[in-house]
Amino acid sequence: MGGGGMDSETHNADNGGDERFKSKNLEAERRRRKKLGDRQLELRALVPNITNMTKSTIITDAITYIEELKLTVEELGNQLLQMEATSVDEEKIKLKEIDDEKEMKKHGIKVEVEAEVNHICGTKLWIRVVFQKKRGALTKLMEAISLLGIDLIDTTITTSRGAVLFTSFGQGIRAGLPEADQMRKYLLEIIRD
Amino acid sequence: MYQENGDFDQSSISHGSGMTQADNAFSQNHLSTFSMEDQSYPQNDVAAAVAAASALEMELQQQLEIEQCYTNKTGAEMPHDSSNWQEMAGFNAENGHYHHQTQNPAADFNQMYAAASSMVPDAPDLLNIFPLPRSSLLPNFSQKSPAFLASLGLLGDVNVSPSADGSSASSGVLYDPLLPLNLPPQPPLLRELFHSLPHGGGVYSLGGGLFTNGVDDREANVGLYQNGVDRVYEFNAAEIGGKNRDGIKDAKHFATEKHRRVLLNDKYQALRSLVPTPTKNDRASIVGDAIRYIDELKMTVAELKGLVEKKRCARERLKRPKMEENEGESKCVGDMNGSSLRSSWLHRKSKNTEVDVRIIDDEITVKLVQQKRINCLLFVSKVLDELQLDLHHVAGGLIGDYYSYLFNSKICEGSIVYASAVANKLIEVVDKQYAAVPPPAGSY
Repeated sequence: MGGGGMDSETHNADNGGDERFKSKNLEAERRRRKKLGDRQLELRALVPNITNMTKSTIITDAITYIEELKLTVEELGNQLLQMEATSVDEEKIKLKEIDDEKEMKKHGIKVEVEAEVNHICGTKLWIRVVFQKKRGALTKLMEAISLLGIDLIDTTITTSRGAVLFTSFGQGIRAGLPEADQMRKYLLEIIRD
Repeated sequence: MYQENGDFDQSSISHGSGMTQADNAFSQNHLSTFSMEDQSYPQNDVAAAVAAASALEMELQQQLEIEQCYTNKTGAEMPHDSSNWQEMAGFNAENGHYHHQTQNPAADFNQMYAAASSMVPDAPDLLNIFPLPRSSLLPNFSQKSPAFLASLGLLGDVNVSPSADGSSASSGVLYDPLLPLNLPPQPPLLRELFHSLPHGGGVYSLGGGLFTNGVDDREANVGLYQNGVDRVYEFNAAEIGGKNRDGIKDAKHFATEKHRRVLLNDKYQALRSLVPTPTKNDRASIVGDAIRYIDELKMTVAELKGLVEKKRCARERLKRPKMEENEGESKCVGDMNGSSLRSSWLHRKSKNTEVDVRIIDDEITVKLVQQKRINCLLFVSKVLDELQLDLHHVAGGLIGDYYSYLFNSKICEGSIVYASAVANKLIEVVDKQYAAVPPPAGSY
């Protein structure tokens, strides 16, 4: 804040009898002022301002420029949204999803949905799930895990050939953690949908 | 010393204009005496060096000599000078009181502002008369002269010290012309002036031996003058004792100055409110954040424009019948020549989340660092679904107090995802959840 800079000076003024300025502070103050000045010059260089080049106008011009840019971004975003309204892209996305499934089958890998849940000393768990890549599948899985009261500590998710491998270390949050086997069955159900 | 004052030209113009009239008179009358006396001075080398810089400094020398005349010989030159003084007295009436003692530093403030504002109307004409170096030096007179004079004093010449005292007491040309007005009681007045200076008394290191401060103070004084316009005013007012004659006017100007500062601070706050991720609340950081944000916005605009272009091409390609397809394609390619590979990078920081989004062509990499509190993977996954991002790989976990994740996804073709949208969305969602969930009671 600008106010912060004033403090050292009033301090000096108050020490009427103090014969020595705090030279350490002076250097810091100088550097601070220089830093602010340099940054203002940088800002000035960025903004296409057309008015006076004084300290206050550079700030106001920057403000107007930023608002201008924000408006442009919004406009362009809206424009894109409108353009998005064509059905072409939706089709494309659906096509892609179908491709994924095809790819899975092509490679001849029967993705066996798997689920493993193992206890590791105390409330720690090791979870491993394999499922078919589909939009929203991961979200469903995450929801299920969170419902079980498991907090994931370290996670890895990998995709390959239409299948998704989810591995994670988790920890039970609540006291009443279900049996490992129960949890496994539950997860299996979820991902089988 | 001298160079650092360059950026205050505009702000201190009001200083300079008041002094130019005085300088004018000096130059007309004392050029001859200057050249004579210049040679007689032992600190000629210093004086000469300074004089070489500009005519103004020569005039300062003249003023020194004039004051010396005043102090040493109450002789011939005085009436001549005092006529000039009186000429200027009318103009500098408001500055006259600077020479009087004041116990009130606030009054000094007011005087300073009055002086500054009174000089403003004259600024344009007078300054244009003089060559450029003058304008850069004029405003600095009050800043440099103490240092200048102090350096003279430091050289240890006894002759100079009284005059140095006199002019430094008045802190520059601005106040010198009025010195003769107070001639009769001058010697004691000088001492009074010195004593009246709050810290100025301790600042000027003079051979006179009144004060025993070293070079540091001189530099300190000058250095402090480097600070904003406000500072210049404050310091000058502080070091010049003066009677609060124009109290009302000064108060008004003080208020104006304060108002101006308040406005400036408000502008800084407005700028701060515009950027999405404000950090420290000091001016340098605000400007830094603004610079960063402007860069980000410019990049986003470029990215969006590219996307719009791509979309338009795609559309046109569809609309045209097969026959014309080639034309449409070539046109699109021409447009996108410069940006055939889309790339954008964005780094956004909020209070407890950090998001780094990189897009190259259709691959998007998101790095997310979030303070441990919620199961953020769930929410990120939701966001990715919403944005129709095809997740390829995720890796991450708990490091100390933070969750850190790296997401590699692919953007579906034709999707209108752009970097800042992703970043904004992520931060929004994660922060919302962060706020909604209370902190954990302790480690489980």
